[in-house]
Amino acid sequence: MVNREELENRAFPYKMLLEATATMRELVERILPPKALPSLELGLKGMESVFSDCIEKAGEGLPIVGYHFALPSEFISAFDCVPQCMEAISFMLSAILPNTAEKYYDLINNYGHPYHTCSAQKGTMGMSLDNLTDFDAIITPTAPCDNTCASYPFFELKKKYPLILLDMPYKHDEAAFEYYGNEIRRGLEELGKIIGQEPDYKKLKKHIELENQVGKTMLELFELKKAIPCPVENMASALGSAAQIYMAGRQEKVDFYEGVLKAAKERLKAGVHHGGMEEKIRSIWLYMLTFFDLSLCEWLDRFLGMTILFDVFNYNFTEPIDTTKDLDTMFYGMAKKGMEFPMNRQSTQFYYTFIEDCIRFAKDFSADCFIYTSSIACKQFGAVPQILREALKDEVGIPMLVIDIDVADPRITNIKTVKEKISVFAQTLL
Amino acid sequence: MSLKNDKYLNISNSIMNPYIEEWKKNNKKIIGYYCTYFPEELLHAAGLLPFRIRATGNEDTDLGDIYMVRFTCSFVRMTLDLALKGGYDFLDGLFITNCCDHARRMYELFDLKVFNRKEFKEKPPRFYIPIPHVITKEGFDYYKQEIIKVKKEIEEKYKIATISDDDLRASISVYNKNRELLREIHKLRILDAPKLSGSEALQLSMANASVPKEIANQELDRILNILKEREGIKTNKKRIMLIGSVVDNTGFLDVIENSGGLVVNDFLCFGTRNFLDDVEVKSGVNPLEEITRRVYYRMSCPRMMDDHVRRLDFIKDQVKKAKVDGVIAQRINNCDLHGCDNMMFEHELRDVNIPVFNIDRENFQKDYSRLQTRIEAFFEML
Repeated sequence: MVNREELENRAFPYKMLLEATATMRELVERILPPKALPSLELGLKGMESVFSDCIEKAGEGLPIVGYHFALPSEFISAFDCVPQCMEAISFMLSAILPNTAEKYYDLINNYGHPYHTCSAQKGTMGMSLDNLTDFDAIITPTAPCDNTCASYPFFELKKKYPLILLDMPYKHDEAAFEYYGNEIRRGLEELGKIIGQEPDYKKLKKHIELENQVGKTMLELFELKKAIPCPVENMASALGSAAQIYMAGRQEKVDFYEGVLKAAKERLKAGVHHGGMEEKIRSIWLYMLTFFDLSLCEWLDRFLGMTILFDVFNYNFTEPIDTTKDLDTMFYGMAKKGMEFPMNRQSTQFYYTFIEDCIRFAKDFSADCFIYTSSIACKQFGAVPQILREALKDEVGIPMLVIDIDVADPRITNIKTVKEKISVFAQTLL
Repeated sequence: MSLKNDKYLNISNSIMNPYIEEWKKNNKKIIGYYCTYFPEELLHAAGLLPFRIRATGNEDTDLGDIYMVRFTCSFVRMTLDLALKGGYDFLDGLFITNCCDHARRMYELFDLKVFNRKEFKEKPPRFYIPIPHVITKEGFDYYKQEIIKVKKEIEEKYKIATISDDDLRASISVYNKNRELLREIHKLRILDAPKLSGSEALQLSMANASVPKEIANQELDRILNILKEREGIKTNKKRIMLIGSVVDNTGFLDVIENSGGLVVNDFLCFGTRNFLDDVEVKSGVNPLEEITRRVYYRMSCPRMMDDHVRRLDFIKDQVKKAKVDGVIAQRINNCDLHGCDNMMFEHELRDVNIPVFNIDRENFQKDYSRLQTRIEAFFEML
């Protein structure tokens, strides 16, 4: 007879994250004055709720389904299961449990995984080697990058977790959306067979509709960011990434964005930036934030007066999915969303769209500069910095700072070096 | 008979060669490509010469480093560097697939930086085919439609009335002959006393991808006859199978073969992966579909996520066939695809008592001494 704790331990990474998140939330609520950092409070609250729910479901014996962040997680809500994002496990460990994730990166590196691969997968791969994971199935698109294609087979070959691949074309047109829509449908049916459930498309629709609703709130928030000073604190970008991945299709995401929007509207009305601080520089981070030290967000706000307008996980301009017609229409919409999802949009087509996006954002949001965290694993972005830099200079007249880094492993470039580089760069702008 | 200064093998030592010069003199077009996951027969049928892009002879990445961060493949960076220096100014077009994250970005960089140079009066056409990362019926159907689209683009861009089924069948015949010849040569390589070294095999492969296929077939036929007559290499050297990332310079193979090894077999894209199977020619069957079928379903490289087991079985089978003493699994630094595949191979091959040496390298290294020491140590263990 399997006891509840054993069942819950199948979601062990989320147990680790729940404990860390709950502790952090308690600390934040005790230390910070009310409304001091609403996105942090709301984000931690949302994550704690999601992790608790997942662990509870694991304790009831529901299947554990690993998924790639490149697959909008509301798609898995067709099943009663415990979804666990492979990359978010690594990144969140790095963010909220200092000096923890590195052990798992080293474990998998010592197994033979190349050093230049992505920490996003390495953390969970290392935890798997340490027998801390227990997936009933894993589902992933074949995107956005080589690291995904290279690393995911490990879970099937070494750990024997059933692996479902949704082939995402590296081209965006009608034929590609149709193909990928069929892949999603086929993949969900295959997942259902593995975990012994029929996909519940009515349930899926409900979660998609919730996600459509929160999409409107997110767009409203983006519009507010055009204001000078920006009424949204930097930490909202960091927690927005977490909301995107963990809370998709859930009420927690609605609550998070409505709360952040409310706080932003209040600041907009008062004509102030976060904490009454002066906004001196408006930056767009075209890629990821430093997950290993998200306090960088506050430091930028408080010490440099540098606003992070958004990063790659927060400029999400996917269209709402039409759930009013037939399933074919819905899956087509899911495919479009999936392929236009953060990082997929940029990685699975030519750079021209990305460069046009960046120029448009720079103009629409009155950006003073771009900052690009050139993650060592991200080869699909490895050829963009110079041509983007040239385009920004020619079309908008603004500079771009490139920082070589591993966003989840501080041993490559530590936070002190990151801050120094940004400080020196900021001096040239002021 | 030595092939040391054979004029055909020497083609592999540089990019330009007399056949390319002759082709251009006749106002014919040359299309550069990176990856063998592309239907060469289609270009051949259009009267175009497919030329496989490599970095042979280039020792720098100065210009390439401006446009690609250092955490990228040095092979691709070196080819870009060469192109920016004018090494590929003879190209009349470029064919790119999403083979890997490094090479696929050459579409944009050739478009914006290489072909924008004053040496090109007009920007050559660029073509792109997205290839699925899985081997499924649905993936094949999608890929087939993309190839049909590209065929129309080629006809339009090069003002070809039509690439007919007869043209395609004729090209299939030439390419099947080419692959057959390469297989015959390969049989001589895996003998107990191999008739050619790993370096010579690589040279043949590179030359084969740099000249018109009709010329290649004549030369391969000539060389096959030479090899049949040749004495085999009787040696105590360790019989090695080389797998992993693209190898486009014999310098690396020379290190292995000067350290006590003989590369009798390989699983490389300038190597066996190119000639294992042919296009089936059945009457009444669409030849373009059959060309596509061969490319899609052939023995894969690690870009195909769901095919590792088939690759592993192939390697094990080839180790047996060629009586291999040990496998060298190499990757170019930052090659995630081969790096992860090699990681699994290392464990899996060791589990069946096949010794493996897993290494990383840069595409070109001025000094191989440390690598040589490690390779020698591996050979001593065998």
